[in-house]
Amino acid sequence: MLALQNVTKHYKTRRGTVRAVEGVSFEVRPKSTLALVGESGCGKTTIAKMILQLERPTAGAIAFEGANTATMNAAALKQYRRQVMAVFQDPYASLNPRLRVGTIIAEPLLAHENPGRAAVEKRVADVLDIVGLPATAARLYPHEFSGGQRQRIAIARALALRPRLMVLDEPVSALDVSIRAQVLNLLADIQQEFGLTYLIIAHDLALVEHFSDDVAVIYLGRVAEAGPTAEVFAQPRHPYTQALLAAVPQPDPDHVLNEAAAAGEIASALDPPSGCRFHPRCPLAIERCRSETPEPRGTPHQAACHLVEA
Amino acid sequence: MVLQVENLHTHLHLKRGILRAVDGVSLSVGEGETLGLVGESGSGKTLTGLSLLRLLPKGSGRIVEGSIRLDGQELTTLPEAAMAQTIRGRRIAMIMQDPMTSLNPVFSIGDQVSNPLRNHNIAQGAALRSKVVEVLTQVRIPSAEKRLGDYPHQFSGGQRQRIVAAMAIGCTPRLLVADEPTTALDVTIQVQIIALLRQIQADTGTGIILITHDLGVAASLCHRIAVMYAGRIVETGPVRRIYKSPSHPYTQALLAAIPRLGEKRSRLQAIPGQPPSLIDPPTGCRFAPRCPARMEKCAEQPPIVQLADGHEAACWKLA
Repeated sequence: MLALQNVTKHYKTRRGTVRAVEGVSFEVRPKSTLALVGESGCGKTTIAKMILQLERPTAGAIAFEGANTATMNAAALKQYRRQVMAVFQDPYASLNPRLRVGTIIAEPLLAHENPGRAAVEKRVADVLDIVGLPATAARLYPHEFSGGQRQRIAIARALALRPRLMVLDEPVSALDVSIRAQVLNLLADIQQEFGLTYLIIAHDLALVEHFSDDVAVIYLGRVAEAGPTAEVFAQPRHPYTQALLAAVPQPDPDHVLNEAAAAGEIASALDPPSGCRFHPRCPLAIERCRSETPEPRGTPHQAACHLVEA
Repeated sequence: MVLQVENLHTHLHLKRGILRAVDGVSLSVGEGETLGLVGESGSGKTLTGLSLLRLLPKGSGRIVEGSIRLDGQELTTLPEAAMAQTIRGRRIAMIMQDPMTSLNPVFSIGDQVSNPLRNHNIAQGAALRSKVVEVLTQVRIPSAEKRLGDYPHQFSGGQRQRIVAAMAIGCTPRLLVADEPTTALDVTIQVQIIALLRQIQADTGTGIILITHDLGVAASLCHRIAVMYAGRIVETGPVRRIYKSPSHPYTQALLAAIPRLGEKRSRLQAIPGQPPSLIDPPTGCRFAPRCPARMEKCAEQPPIVQLADGHEAACWKLA
């Protein structure tokens, strides 16, 4: 469905080159959910921006159903844009406070096909119904809704053009615990009903395990580990994935956190460590990790670590 | 007991009306104990914390009823000057969520960590400097002595939160109010701050109130938990009781709604609806409109039912 091949993104700044994303490859299978996991600054949002055509890769290719997005003509690109939609983290920032909900949801429709007023109104009412809001919501403004309802509006807007792929960037992390489950269940229902493919960015590992079919763990712009979620979570191979999982506080007072799992902090993408980028924090690092960048090993469950047997 | 709060009512006077943010909260914290104040946004947990320091929004916020006693001393009637000189930052200190907003970007960290020490006459001159280095070392800022002249932006997010912790613990407060201290941090950094709070408590015996929405963080750090919903505490108990045998339907629903590692479920158990407005809250139990076990009686205020030693919940179902 969507394939990234060796995608790299560098930003030139006064202080040097920020190597935000470095040779990232993964595939999202049709009608499945792939989760991108990693800490802030690891490049996961930059990857999403490149998929949404908001940034251009410095190198590498992003292919949608086999077609390279970099070489698409204007018409093909427009077609691509209507098939790939996004839902962002903060529904207070992503909805224009001065527009009525109906206008917000209709905007992508008007930009792409403008099917006429009656058809637009019908479609707006349809998608509001899909996300569990009454048709009367179209006449109200975003501030008249709670956070969870606003996120439903953002989902309705993304659905208006019947996309095939949705990029969900931390779709529930701004919401309260009791509302998160409602929105996640809604996203799961919509995926089922319309055969959607999801790329979700999330830092909540329990949520990722629950919600995704495949996962890619990103560290400082590189894929550390990737594969079927169930396998990666049951038998994490990369020391970084192991550290991440050991550091998640669990709602269980008997669970013991591994406080030594990953010492120190993520390095700067301006000056990433040589070799394996995780080696300064890795409890298992050997000499080779300092000098040689590890290649991903194994399939479909792959890890980029010198200590992992192929 | 370090802290004893009884029947605290804090109101916010807004243009839209009076918001009953804290509506009859009672809690206590013992020496060396961590109490988790758990709830969703708008449940009143932060305003409870701010009430303890009397740091309510000027003009609109007011403690209208109840008592707050620190080591037996009543704080609600204490004059503001005494509050500033002897309590705030001295015997009760606070760590807030976002270290970037609690640190002033234009002052060096040496300056900022020494401020509370100087204001409360803990140390002067050379002794002040060595005390600052000591607390920064205690929160594990590497080569603290060389970094006193550095500014907040020269530190990473995790280090900034350590510096905020150093400011809070310099005067060895009796009570530390930590409001979402790890929420802005990544998970591998979060675990380091959790370890730091535990170490601070072991070193100084301070009582801690941990305000959080994260049931995982609360479980890993707290001895006791108080669950807040819509301005009231609905359930209090030892951490193990709350997680292993939650009794209030809200606590049960909250624990059922979160995904857990290693446990694949096809659907999460959502809690229908949303919390009520605290300007015009429902009479009786405030969770009743969303509660699966709702009865007619729930239109009246539920009694607080003792379930076991130190474990109580406000629910008609248990009465």
